[in-house]
Amino acid sequence: MADLRRYLGQALLYAAFFVPLVYITHLPTFTHLEEDMAVLKIAVRHAGKIIGECKPLSGAEYDKLPSNMKRPEICPRERSPLQLELLLDGESLYRATVSPSGLHNDGVSSMYQRFEVPAGAHHLQLLMNDDVASEGYTWQLERDVVLEPAQVMVASFKEGFRLQ
Amino acid sequence: MKALLKKGFNHLDSFFSVFFTPKWNPMYQLGALSFFYYWIVAITGVYLFIFFETSISGAYSSIERITHDQWYIGGVMRSFHRYASAAMGICVTLHLVREYAMDRYSGPRWFSWVTGIPLLWLLFASAIGGYWLVWDQLAQYIAILTAEWFDWLPIMVDPMASNFLNESTLSDRFFSLLVFLHIGIPLALLLGMFIHIKRVTGARTNPASGLAIGTLLAMLVVSLVWPALSQAPANLDVAVTEVGLDWVFLNPYPLINSWGPGQTWALLVGLSCILTLLPWLPSKRPEQTPVAVVDPDNCNGCGWCLADCPYEAVSMKDHDYKKDHKQSVVDPDLCVSCGICAGACPSSSPFRHVDELTTGISIPGFHIKELLSLTENKLKALDSVAPHIMLYGCDHGSTVDQLESGSVAAISMPCSALVPPAFIDYVLRRGLADGVIISGCCEGDCYYRLGNTWLDQRFSQERMPILRTRVPREKVRLSWLGVQGTAQLGTEIEEFQHYLHHAEEEEAYYG
Repeated sequence: MADLRRYLGQALLYAAFFVPLVYITHLPTFTHLEEDMAVLKIAVRHAGKIIGECKPLSGAEYDKLPSNMKRPEICPRERSPLQLELLLDGESLYRATVSPSGLHNDGVSSMYQRFEVPAGAHHLQLLMNDDVASEGYTWQLERDVVLEPAQVMVASFKEGFRLQ
Repeated sequence: MKALLKKGFNHLDSFFSVFFTPKWNPMYQLGALSFFYYWIVAITGVYLFIFFETSISGAYSSIERITHDQWYIGGVMRSFHRYASAAMGICVTLHLVREYAMDRYSGPRWFSWVTGIPLLWLLFASAIGGYWLVWDQLAQYIAILTAEWFDWLPIMVDPMASNFLNESTLSDRFFSLLVFLHIGIPLALLLGMFIHIKRVTGARTNPASGLAIGTLLAMLVVSLVWPALSQAPANLDVAVTEVGLDWVFLNPYPLINSWGPGQTWALLVGLSCILTLLPWLPSKRPEQTPVAVVDPDNCNGCGWCLADCPYEAVSMKDHDYKKDHKQSVVDPDLCVSCGICAGACPSSSPFRHVDELTTGISIPGFHIKELLSLTENKLKALDSVAPHIMLYGCDHGSTVDQLESGSVAAISMPCSALVPPAFIDYVLRRGLADGVIISGCCEGDCYYRLGNTWLDQRFSQERMPILRTRVPREKVRLSWLGVQGTAQLGTEIEEFQHYLHHAEEEEAYYG
């Protein structure tokens, strides 16, 4: 009888451990995004313009170069950072300078941002400057969009801004 | 805080012992249970992997087929996989908090403590990787948030999150990578678990068979009644709004949501650093007493202390001056000053024909000679007519000092296994006491891991030094009641005295 009581107690304690455990492995739910919101993502991977220009080598400079690396002019490697701005309904949602990758700043500039925005009609502006030598923006896209609740809209860049 | 936790655990331990008995008590086997759950997750994972398709379209549908088409085996395996990993998460957390509460994390124990902290990260990474593989809405939610969380670190050239922009940016190779990670990280976790117990002699990695069977049965029931299911399939073109979270492993995600990646990194890394440094932070901890000392004159190189040391602090070397002899050496960085080695030393016998009792290895401040003289003096001072009891206890079990009386002499020491079996023989044979009780921590929960186990084995003659056959067993009792059992120990002493009194009367009557 004592054994039966003991085993019954064990069964209850197993239940007291596993039932809440099963519950907390999927509940309570977590609201990640309100029902009337949509998501806007911007992801840009782009190499800015090279900063500076190639200059011809003098005779002495040319002679100094190893035989397998001789060339008539030397070109800079550093690339321009990207000046990016995202405006939604005229208000700036994101504005940043994205530096090029690499030890010599000669790689691509990459960025990603996610925004939760109210669903509905919006006026979207994407602006980018990829050349420090130029004033203002070198790339831009302006569009009226309608976002459904929970819709994911992606703004990316490939030879110009694209909306998906 | 720590004292409160300790009190809570002591009550919980006692409560579980009522139903599970100390041998099956899960609170004493949290580490072993974690190992057990790990193996369940590993075995079920191998089965699930056979049917899993590593592609965007195949991942979700293959899991659905496993869950529903073969619910009786695949579905159960999946539920075991998920619930065992969650149970492991809880056991590991309880194990960590309990070791902290019981002051088992500092001194020479720092190694196990510190090596345990990276295991938490590996465990979480293993579990989170598993949730990705299902590729349902939960997977979509954690994939994006994890990528954004890692993108905050200045180590990525291209943002990881760019892989999850929409359906067109995801590739099948992603699932191959995930499978690789979901196998590789748990293997690293296993390696870490073995390093974690490296400095622990005879580490318990298997729970008691009764507890293991009970656990499996309980898991089978919950797996059949509440099988683990997927949420709606992932669709990167539509954002996840509400998601059912596993609050055991995915609890950092709401934090990433509300605090942002930087603060979440700061919290988790900061917490890990504090936990790692905990053994050296100022805190009210039991003082580290001087470590064991070897006396080469009396060490015969038998190696019993080496076999019994729970922390691998004893090793053997060539004897200082006896040719072809060995002697013990104590590593002060590993010794916890429990004295189990002194109880194991065959030289710790009061029957030895020496002018002054010495031994091969002892704890300064609790030398065998001092223990003998304390035993003799205390027993000689008893004045009651009731049967005289010698009560040996440990500083971490029942409070034996409270039970001293005119007929009970009590001595508390770091660990009860410090008492050499020859002492029991000596006390009874010389008529210094009518009975001997050795009390200590609960069975399976010795503060020094193995003290009561070794003593049980010495008394049942399974381990050297044995309690000699000539010692009347009815006059010796072992009582592993733990810190909560002082009152019960008092009752047991009274019953023992009552029994000895009747035994004396019977002997006088029948001769």
